[in-house]
Amino acid sequence: MSLSSDEQKRYARQLGPGVLSEQGQLDLGRSTALVTRVGGMGGPAALMLTMAGIGRVIIAHGGELISPDLNRQVLGCEAGIGQPRAPHFAQYLRSVNGFVEVEHVDHEPADSEALDLARRSSIVLSCPPTFEERLRLNRAAAIAGVPLIDAAQWGMTGTLMVIRAGETACLQCVYPQAPPFEEFFPVVGAISSAIGSLAALEAIKILSGTGRPLLGKMLTYDGHQGRVTTLSLTRRDDCPCCAEM
Amino acid sequence: MQIRVVMMGRHYHELEGLPEFLDLSEPASVDDAIDRLTERLPPGSHFPGSCLVAVSGKHVGTVASHSSVSLVDGDELMLLAPVAGG
Repeated sequence: MSLSSDEQKRYARQLGPGVLSEQGQLDLGRSTALVTRVGGMGGPAALMLTMAGIGRVIIAHGGELISPDLNRQVLGCEAGIGQPRAPHFAQYLRSVNGFVEVEHVDHEPADSEALDLARRSSIVLSCPPTFEERLRLNRAAAIAGVPLIDAAQWGMTGTLMVIRAGETACLQCVYPQAPPFEEFFPVVGAISSAIGSLAALEAIKILSGTGRPLLGKMLTYDGHQGRVTTLSLTRRDDCPCCAEM
Repeated sequence: MQIRVVMMGRHYHELEGLPEFLDLSEPASVDDAIDRLTERLPPGSHFPGSCLVAVSGKHVGTVASHSSVSLVDGDELMLLAPVAGG
């Protein structure tokens, strides 16, 4: 199987030495990513995966678009205020790349649905605003046996973790209990887009077999102080999620 | 000995007054360094137990639960208040 001439034309700038091989592009095109939620980070992550030519992207996000979303929401616009977020964002993603199947879930999936979605996916991108949701996605990805990319932000800072439970530390190894976190946290859209785009880049690398993913590491970007750090994460022997894997 | 201190994550702006470098008597552990830094916080304040702790690029646990690590001159101690914003 090979790329069609239209696909070769579309992806010409990302095919070649140092970027994706044709086989890598084909592998990406056969992959599915679950992105939940699609706010400040999940939005650009879903957009970059769609533009790069992933086969299918499943986005999950409840509620309706509101004005305060628009300081960081790249999939929405003022005309969409008041519309349900997920179908509105899905429509935009379909308009960006017709080679990609876009599916939306108009709510945040609970345990069993998260697991079903993870089992249908090649990778999970975790971008929700609570640790409870993140740990739920971590469990779902671990049970489904797919990698998880956790992207998080506060203010002008962000963190990114690439996890393959059983091989690397999982999110529950890092956060044994869900830490407190406020619902209305401050954030500048530029950091959201940066971390969301890096999450997509890690997913593209893994799915296309390109480069060296940040597996087992946490990238921290302190935009406030202009500092980037990479930490090696440590597995916990007593982790209830992955210790037995 | 002297270590470098890096604070990051949630409410980072409240920690800007903490020193970038910390002098410690040898031998010194992560707990010794956290205790010294806590002394510089406003009275009654402390680092949340959920803060991640890393020493020279290696994650060693949280403030509440971390492995026993001895510090050496030139180490970098990072305390990262967890962030989850979406």
